[in-house]
Amino acid sequence: MSASLAPECNQVKEQYDNCFLKWYSEKFLRGTATSDECESLFKQYEQCLSKALKARGIDSMLREAREDNRENDAEHMRPKP
Amino acid sequence: MVKFYSSTDTYSYPFPAVTLAYFLRYPNPYSTHVLSTDTIARHYDPATQRLTTIRLHLKRSKLPSAVLKLLPRSFLGASAGGDTQSYILEKSVVDVREGWMDTESQNLEFTGVLSVIERQEFRRPRSQAEEELRMWQGMEGAARRHGFIKFSGDGGVDAKIEDTGETTEVKSTVTLHSHLGEKWKKRRAVEDAAGDTSDEDQPQKMGFFKSWSTSSLQRSIELIGLKRARRSQPNAKEGMKIVLERMREGGLVAVLEGMRRDREAIAGHHPHGFKTHYGSGRGEDDE
Repeated sequence: MSASLAPECNQVKEQYDNCFLKWYSEKFLRGTATSDECESLFKQYEQCLSKALKARGIDSMLREAREDNRENDAEHMRPKP
Repeated sequence: MVKFYSSTDTYSYPFPAVTLAYFLRYPNPYSTHVLSTDTIARHYDPATQRLTTIRLHLKRSKLPSAVLKLLPRSFLGASAGGDTQSYILEKSVVDVREGWMDTESQNLEFTGVLSVIERQEFRRPRSQAEEELRMWQGMEGAARRHGFIKFSGDGGVDAKIEDTGETTEVKSTVTLHSHLGEKWKKRRAVEDAAGDTSDEDQPQKMGFFKSWSTSSLQRSIELIGLKRARRSQPNAKEGMKIVLERMREGGLVAVLEGMRRDREAIAGHHPHGFKTHYGSGRGEDDE
């Protein structure tokens, strides 16, 4: 698995990534997913990561970028058949 | 003053496998400059069955020497050799029912110098027979196409690709836009309007513009970015293909094992590296 930006989050990231891969290949890709089954693991991972992002000052940069993105999303993330 | 690079390609793998490989593409032997990948947000919408993912990659990059010559290093925060790290924000949406995945990646820093937005559109091609089938059977035909991945019976994660001859089309575009000097111009206009004549931080920053007009400097930087995009795009595709080959050979287990080896090599700067095996190793080699 890919490494986390924050080494202290590697373990919980790996748990989440494994859960996601299983869900993605067995449920999502088969069109049988009803909910995101890895949400609770993601919350743990997110908790660890958000501390690391804050400590590195990346959180504010991300917020700005994602706000900019929201404006563009409607335009670019639509399916073009 | 925006530059575009675009290309189309066909992967000889079914669409769902390509989407999985997209999420698993780092690390691979062509991406030794990617230091980390984190998922920072993910949303599954059961109504549309679409999955939205936002990830953050940290990449080691070497600024092209041509850019280093144009800009003062203090401005870029790079070392003397141009080594720097940069964050890339990636967003993707997958709709497996309709057979499309759209991705968008952009740099988070240096956007004032050059903003690089990379978009990819993955599409499951529709055959004539499928079109007819859809007309007659509605969505039932689509459900059948999900049978491409085999699973081991014990519930372990071991998806394998079945060779069905299916392909996936991908269209990639890179948009390069330099905003160099624009912020300063804007700020100066505001300051002028406010009657603020203090020019404290202007002389130093504007100094290197002396012999260049802002627009020609922007154009030069966009061209350098374009050259780099042309060079790194084939490597990005090779990286995806390696991940897909591993998946075909040994399922997810083989992909994860390959990633583990690649990660070790990146962390330890393996003396015999990948380069001997894969030729040009780095995705963003300088000229």
